[in-house]
Amino acid sequence: MTDTTDFEAKRDIAEIAVERYKQGRLTRRGFIAAMGALGILPALGSRATAQAKEIIVVNWGGTAKDVLQEVLCDTYTAETGIPVTVDGSGPSAGKIRAMVESGAVVWDLCDSGAGSAIILEQQGVTQPIDYSIVDKSKVLDGTAYTNGVGNYVYSYVLATNPKLLGGNVPQTWEDVWNTKDFPGMRTFRKSVRGMLESATQARGVPLAEVYDALGTEDGIKASIAKFRELRENIIVWGSGSDSQNLFLQEEVAIGNIWSTRAHLLKDQMPEGSFNVSFNGGVIAPGIWVVPKDNPAGSDEVMKFIAHGQNPELQVQWLEKIGSGPINPEAAAMVPPELAPFNPSSPENLATQIIYKDEWYAKNQISAEELYVDALIN
Amino acid sequence: MPRVPEKLSYWMLVLPALAIMVIFYIVPVLGIWKIAVTEPVAGFGNFEKMAASSAVKTSFIITFRVAAVTTLGCLLLGYIVAYAISNYASRLTPLMVALVILPFWVSVLIRSFSWIVLLGRSGIVNDALRDAGLIDAPLKLMHNEFGVVIAMIHVMLPFAVLPMLTNMRGISGAYVQAARSLGAGEWYAFRNVYFPQTMPGVMSGALLVFVLSLGFYVTPALLGGGRVLMISEYITYQIQEFLNWGLGSALSVALLIATALVLLVAARFVNLRATLLDRK
Repeated sequence: MTDTTDFEAKRDIAEIAVERYKQGRLTRRGFIAAMGALGILPALGSRATAQAKEIIVVNWGGTAKDVLQEVLCDTYTAETGIPVTVDGSGPSAGKIRAMVESGAVVWDLCDSGAGSAIILEQQGVTQPIDYSIVDKSKVLDGTAYTNGVGNYVYSYVLATNPKLLGGNVPQTWEDVWNTKDFPGMRTFRKSVRGMLESATQARGVPLAEVYDALGTEDGIKASIAKFRELRENIIVWGSGSDSQNLFLQEEVAIGNIWSTRAHLLKDQMPEGSFNVSFNGGVIAPGIWVVPKDNPAGSDEVMKFIAHGQNPELQVQWLEKIGSGPINPEAAAMVPPELAPFNPSSPENLATQIIYKDEWYAKNQISAEELYVDALIN
Repeated sequence: MPRVPEKLSYWMLVLPALAIMVIFYIVPVLGIWKIAVTEPVAGFGNFEKMAASSAVKTSFIITFRVAAVTTLGCLLLGYIVAYAISNYASRLTPLMVALVILPFWVSVLIRSFSWIVLLGRSGIVNDALRDAGLIDAPLKLMHNEFGVVIAMIHVMLPFAVLPMLTNMRGISGAYVQAARSLGAGEWYAFRNVYFPQTMPGVMSGALLVFVLSLGFYVTPALLGGGRVLMISEYITYQIQEFLNWGLGSALSVALLIATALVLLVAARFVNLRATLLDRK
């Protein structure tokens, strides 16, 4: 099975945090993130002498690292006296596997994705989540795996600029494909991830049946054909910051972008010129995984995961970085002005589907090829 | 001390440069060739996949089309500049040559971003046209081939101007004067006497711009909006997005071969040795 975890999305969340909170310290942050991406830090960060009872949590760096430290880890230390340190070096599936197989495990908890979690489970390098400590009811349906459990969410959303559209804002993906009533440029990602789902809905397929409709080769081709139809109106975004720039510079009026970027744009764009709809969106969870033989021991980590399920902490996470709470209880505590931007509020959840890693593992590569072809040929 | 044979001493002088080329260029290129035929499985699978893909075909067509249009644009604009500098500028010559070379001091990245500021939907050009009442809706000046070509011509222009300039400055004015004194009109003298003498410069400028354009990455990636997908960007896409080193390498081998073919074909029509080596 191919690893379908969207590491770019994760790194992007880290970048966003950098932009938003620590602008003056970007260089050092960027350096850490880059080192992590290059796989240099794990070696440096090795703590062969890690004390028992210290928990090492690994995420994707940037200031997301600091926010995780502040929101989840320091609060845990305050409660229990157990030190928790965040390592921002990027726990890719390959690194986790290499670490477990080398027998020198220094990571206790890793921020991974559903695709990686499934592969790592098959490879037998992660531990089962102890659902007597971690509460299964405190995560979104479909994000409690045997060897992994959801920690936050982000979505692919329909972002629009009402000013450019003269107030007439598309409500559905079918509208997005209607260039007559909604003129202007659209932006989609330079990858089918989270995009093909929109095109499928534009074919008139109901949200719940999107992945069924993409189950056959003809289904995929029909959705790809929708991009061919729209391509004169498409500008492609490569990185999260690309998508943000396209909106800021008013190059596009409509787009399918990450909710975390939309979270930034809502503050950056002038009043009345930015709108987000989760209608027909695709929600993707981040997943905690625990490497086998982690130094702090299974129980300690499970208790920490359970601590992270605290809805109040998850709301802080949303406020600071824009990633949505995985605990459904958190939605009620979100400040009203932020609620429309919360990917996992009940209203927004009702109109989205969960990103299906299994589909991507099977079809992504061939679909990407068709996608490029549809855009340029 | 024994005298080092002259030939050997020359070789020793080029040795450092040669070593750098071999170690840091030839060897990695061979590595790429190897990856192209070994990953993910040994054989020509990557090339078969490439030949079967219509996206790759289109990307090659786009690449050659953009390179050709860029070359034509550079030659046209560059010829005029080179002609003016070598025949009319006299006291201003150093200044004008400096102006041609100046853009080299600014990163291609910055120059491409400048075009984004100029050509954007709410960029300077569109805003000016709108304020002047010439247009109602913004023109689509970038995120398409038009924008890419404009910016590419800007980046490549010095590569066209410099060889033509060197060539033209070596042409004696006596020929045109002789033609004129024999009764040829201004245009006739230019067309039949001056222009043929500038052909070596034109050809080397054309080759330089065309070959550089074929492998160009930054400008198309920034101004193409993802739809002017030139081969070099497609290679990046394969390697960065899909970790598909095999196909990415095969594409770069194909681009290298295509470029070599262009030179070969050019050699049939142009004396490459004369245009590239014996510049006067």
